[in-house]
Amino acid sequence: MKEHAWKCGLSWSLRATALATILAAICCLSQLSTAQEPKPDPAGIATGDRTSVVDAAGNPFVVPAPTNPSSPDYATAKKNYDEYQAALAKEPLAAKLADSVGHVRVATNFGWTLNTGYLVLFMQAGFALLTCGLVRKKNAAHLMMLNFAAFVFALLAYYATGYAFQFGAVAINAAPANLGGVPTLNHFLLGSNSWGILGGKGFFLSGPAYDAGSNVLMLFEFVFMETAGYIIVGAICERITFWSFVLAELFIGGILYPVFGCWVWGGGWLSQLGLTRNLGHGYVDFAGSTVVHAVGGFCAMALAVILGPRLGKYDKDGKPRAFPAHNLVYVVTGTFILLFGWMGFNPGSTLGATDLRISVIAMNTNLAAVAGSAAAMILWYFLFGKPDVTMACNGMLAGLVAITAPCAFVSSTSAVIIGAIAGVVVCLSVLFFERVAKIDDPCGAISVHGVCGWVGAVSVGIFADGTYGAGWNGVGTASYLGISGQGVTGLLHGDTRQFWMQLMGATLCAVWAFGATYIVFAIVNKFKTIRVTEESEGVGLDVPEFGMHAYPEDALLTLE
Amino acid sequence: MKQITAIIRPNRLDDVKQCLVDIAVQGLTVEEVRGFGRQRGHTEVYRGAEYSVDFLPKMLVTIFASNERVDEIIDAIIRGARTGSMGDGKICVTPVEEVIRIRNGEQGEAAI
Repeated sequence: MKEHAWKCGLSWSLRATALATILAAICCLSQLSTAQEPKPDPAGIATGDRTSVVDAAGNPFVVPAPTNPSSPDYATAKKNYDEYQAALAKEPLAAKLADSVGHVRVATNFGWTLNTGYLVLFMQAGFALLTCGLVRKKNAAHLMMLNFAAFVFALLAYYATGYAFQFGAVAINAAPANLGGVPTLNHFLLGSNSWGILGGKGFFLSGPAYDAGSNVLMLFEFVFMETAGYIIVGAICERITFWSFVLAELFIGGILYPVFGCWVWGGGWLSQLGLTRNLGHGYVDFAGSTVVHAVGGFCAMALAVILGPRLGKYDKDGKPRAFPAHNLVYVVTGTFILLFGWMGFNPGSTLGATDLRISVIAMNTNLAAVAGSAAAMILWYFLFGKPDVTMACNGMLAGLVAITAPCAFVSSTSAVIIGAIAGVVVCLSVLFFERVAKIDDPCGAISVHGVCGWVGAVSVGIFADGTYGAGWNGVGTASYLGISGQGVTGLLHGDTRQFWMQLMGATLCAVWAFGATYIVFAIVNKFKTIRVTEESEGVGLDVPEFGMHAYPEDALLTLE
Repeated sequence: MKQITAIIRPNRLDDVKQCLVDIAVQGLTVEEVRGFGRQRGHTEVYRGAEYSVDFLPKMLVTIFASNERVDEIIDAIIRGARTGSMGDGKICVTPVEEVIRIRNGEQGEAAI
């Protein structure tokens, strides 16, 4: 027995050493060949100059020098460039002013992106309240600790590898132009050009990522990753051990989330299928119905399948038993905090207040939220005679999750329709998982975030009306579907290929998040069970896992 | 001496107390309890799973009284607690051997 333990210890330390070596190698590789590399700007004084100045239509102030003499419009480009240079020489003050305007423009967008990021950060408090209210009193401290530890460990993992995997090549697609600066993250670790699979620069937020603009992006993106990280709590609570939860958070923050994130937001292959395979604008997910929510939801589903239902959830005939929420006040308050945070989640995803579509996005988000909640309340009323408070809240969150991908691309009418569809889908999905699939999901995380995330991404391919997103993922910068300025377009407005792209991308997301999590944690579970003992589960996890009660007065009364 | 114990609806407690005070009852003790009688519990649906509330919340009221006041007190409790529907509760009367006031050791009816 002892020898076995010693061997185990050895192999663990070997594995840890190997992992450290690989990480170190990755860091070194990513910082090699820095000779002609653009320099990062940690102080932020070189970020935002005349190159960041654009007019309302997005036309730049600076006219670039033409590079290709054999191009047919070389003469016009050369003429424009010469005129620009002459004007600059005549009006040096205007050039200086443009530098200031550019700096202020970038500063505005920094302020916007950071502040919306703080709003998203606050969603963590909302989710903690929501899920805590939904579980039984005896597990309340355990649940709050899971929500808390999700933030702590997932951020550390994302800082170490996640950010680099996701955005290490972002400049290949398009630098987040709203944030100014020169693109310093420009290398794929796996894949290249239009077929990037994994980013390769910016590990530990150092080297090329030690940059003012890059840190804005990191802050905004890590709070999104945290969202996927804490979503899983909703489906696995009341029965998972703390150590395996921490492992799950490291896995999500370090690998699972960034990989799919790279494919869609980091210039990866899925976003480029519009250019490479003529599939609409490539895979489009504006603020993360799939990149964030479905990844969290389907990861949670895999863990819930491995864990099995809570003790006593199904009787011997397989009939589900209810474990009613212990505090509906927390549930409703938490849902409202999430709605408030979503005002950062969706409008903030423009990464700039200078993109005035933010007002439409904010309104669409609210409309989908209320439509989802109304649909859930009405459907539940007809199914069971009374609207369920927790399902009304789930309906609102379902609407929010579903509008997250299409919020920038659809009209307000479409937003209401998408929200209402999600509100109905979430009810049916909760009943399906509860009664048919028998996957125990205490807070409805799989239905709200997984299923409705999928619905949201697909609805981009149906409802997008082409008024926004011209040139998205590099597709149709001049014109699209023969119309100049036409943006992302869905099935109802004439682009069938976008629909197929969305259907495929969203499904791939579900397969990736469920599959990767299932494989990794089924193996982990073989070595050591990730579930608490029956005894702990019976008395509640608060004391067995952490040695304290959430409500000690209640516990003392029962002891006496 | 008798002990009168009544199981009543929680929301009738104020009325019962008022009726007892009106007939100058000197003291009573209440407890929150749960249970079911002939009406049994009822079922509700939570997130699509049915659950039954088997034990309904009730209040248990205890009063000590001299033999001659028992009927009067029972009438007062019924006045305060009756709604006429199932679940109004029960009153039971049991003999008491001795009552002692802790403060000064008084015994019997003087201690009530």
